[in-house]
Amino acid sequence: MTSETISTGQSRTALLLPPAYRNLGKSTSLRELAGRFEAGLRELLGDVQVDLLHRPAVSHAWMNLITGAPADDGSLPDGWNGEACAVRQVGDGQKMHALHRLGDDSELCLIMRRHVTGVDTSESGIDSLRLAVTTFDSAYQALLHRQHEKALAFSLNQRLLQLNSLIETGIEIAALDSAVSPIHLALERAVAMTNASQGVVSLYRDENVIERIAFPGEYRDEGRTPGERCISAEFTFHSVRYLFMLMDKESRAGVTAFEGTDRLLLDALSRQVHASLENRYLLRQSLEKQKMEQDIAVAASIQQRILPSVLPTIDGYDAAGINIPSKSVGGDYYDCFLLQDGRVALVVADVAGKGIPAALLVSSLQAYLTAYLESAMPLVTMAARLNSVIHRASTDDKFITAFIGLLEPQTGILDYVNAGHNVVYCRRTDGTIVELSEGGIPFGMLDLNLPYASGRVTLDRGDRLLLYTDGIPEAHNPVQELYENHSPLQEFVARVVPEKAEVFIRDLIADVKQFTADAPQADDITALYLIRK
Amino acid sequence: MEQPFTLTTEVRDARLIISTSGYVNNVGGEAIANEFQKHYVSGVREVIINLAHSKVVNSVGMSFLIEIIERLSESGGRLIFTNLDPAVEKMLAIMGLFGYAGKEKTVEDALSALSTQS
Repeated sequence: MTSETISTGQSRTALLLPPAYRNLGKSTSLRELAGRFEAGLRELLGDVQVDLLHRPAVSHAWMNLITGAPADDGSLPDGWNGEACAVRQVGDGQKMHALHRLGDDSELCLIMRRHVTGVDTSESGIDSLRLAVTTFDSAYQALLHRQHEKALAFSLNQRLLQLNSLIETGIEIAALDSAVSPIHLALERAVAMTNASQGVVSLYRDENVIERIAFPGEYRDEGRTPGERCISAEFTFHSVRYLFMLMDKESRAGVTAFEGTDRLLLDALSRQVHASLENRYLLRQSLEKQKMEQDIAVAASIQQRILPSVLPTIDGYDAAGINIPSKSVGGDYYDCFLLQDGRVALVVADVAGKGIPAALLVSSLQAYLTAYLESAMPLVTMAARLNSVIHRASTDDKFITAFIGLLEPQTGILDYVNAGHNVVYCRRTDGTIVELSEGGIPFGMLDLNLPYASGRVTLDRGDRLLLYTDGIPEAHNPVQELYENHSPLQEFVARVVPEKAEVFIRDLIADVKQFTADAPQADDITALYLIRK
Repeated sequence: MEQPFTLTTEVRDARLIISTSGYVNNVGGEAIANEFQKHYVSGVREVIINLAHSKVVNSVGMSFLIEIIERLSESGGRLIFTNLDPAVEKMLAIMGLFGYAGKEKTVEDALSALSTQS
């Protein structure tokens, strides 16, 4: 190929743009621009054949912008010494090359042929060609500028979209029904917001995958690890590791690297899921607690109705009782009631444990006891039956300690059975204490037909009886010292002998409260006091 | 589970209806654009894109939709989106597409709207 440099330098000739050139500014792509330019050039110069070649850099191959095909290297000009614009006549004057470095440092090569009359190689013709190429460059810069503006607007809108989507997703996750997992929604949004090709959330327990959720489609890329083409975020909740992974960020040109913003978005979305799971767990716990508190309130109400609101009047006796439940439903029970045969039943019981099961067991005891006492069966027989029915009605860890006394008011004879309960104190007028402990094992502990024994004591005038539950001797102060160790109940019974039973109860409770001070009440406090006048 | 992207086309009264299913990403967007181009060169200038079964669109897919809008705008054509999921509708709104394209609840509504505007 022969070539000769005809002219280089700045354009000196002004040229009015032909109509076709005026549409250059409407081009939306380089190829469209080339097409419009080629048409304009032909309009300007008449019957010429024009090829427009372009390459992004010297290292790239030339591309024919008119045909969209790679250019034939054999017809291309040699190097052109870095000139901004060089026009060369090639061969016998039928062809000219115009080489031009465009504003973005890419290169344009205009090849113009005119086979019959040859190309215009005059200075005017060369200037016209140079001006045409410069016009193309201006239109190209305008196109790049528009594309840049468009990309910038798109990018800004995309950022706005990401922010909006992040906020909306948080709201939607919070509003999801608790039966619907938030993972699917968060994963879909993470994939869309970051332009990932696919996302997957893997749930691990002890390094074993227990569940895998992918979007879109099924997980197709086992073994991927976080890197440039794969980003991840994770958290652990209740021993389950939630690993979010996004793969292969898309672009129009193919797969591209994830950006810092993508990592921030994924991290934010995974934290939203974490917060949602925690909130759901806390809500569930709160509802369960609320339900339990309602059940406890019902149970406490039932238990309170079982306890006597007023003790019966017993000729020749003065009786008083008290039950101070602890915060939860306790298992204490006491009662004092007249039987049809004129005897008086004195009962104190304590179920091992607290809560609704304890309250139900107390309720069972009270029902059986009331029925058995009216049947006039011997106390030991009644105790054995109570043991059996309570054993059947309770779980292995539940039993009831109880003291059941039957008093003949006129004689003062008290028959009793103590089923593993605290000893009942009988204070004689001389200050001596008799401990009432005859009986057997707590009701419901074992159903082995173990015999119960009954005891008998006679209350004379001035004698006193204290029935109580372990909430009194085991009451503790803020430093966990027991009331019994500080102030033995037996000594209190011996020492404190007011005329009225209710005064004794009041003084006893005051003494316990003074000892326990600010310590929370750990157990029910129950006492029944009887004075034979 | 989201199925792979698919689309169906129908031409009614010289109006192209493209109904998609699945993730409108690079693959989905390009498929829509190709289908549009096929009919555009044969003179179709009114297009309805029914996204009833596409709940997720990413910005690459969106860029193809924008190109379609631009092509139609240049040639005096019109595009209407229908059956939009609220999240997708918000996305198109934020990206400013409804300044250049319409939206209707259903394909039938879109066809009516195009007939009225004709």
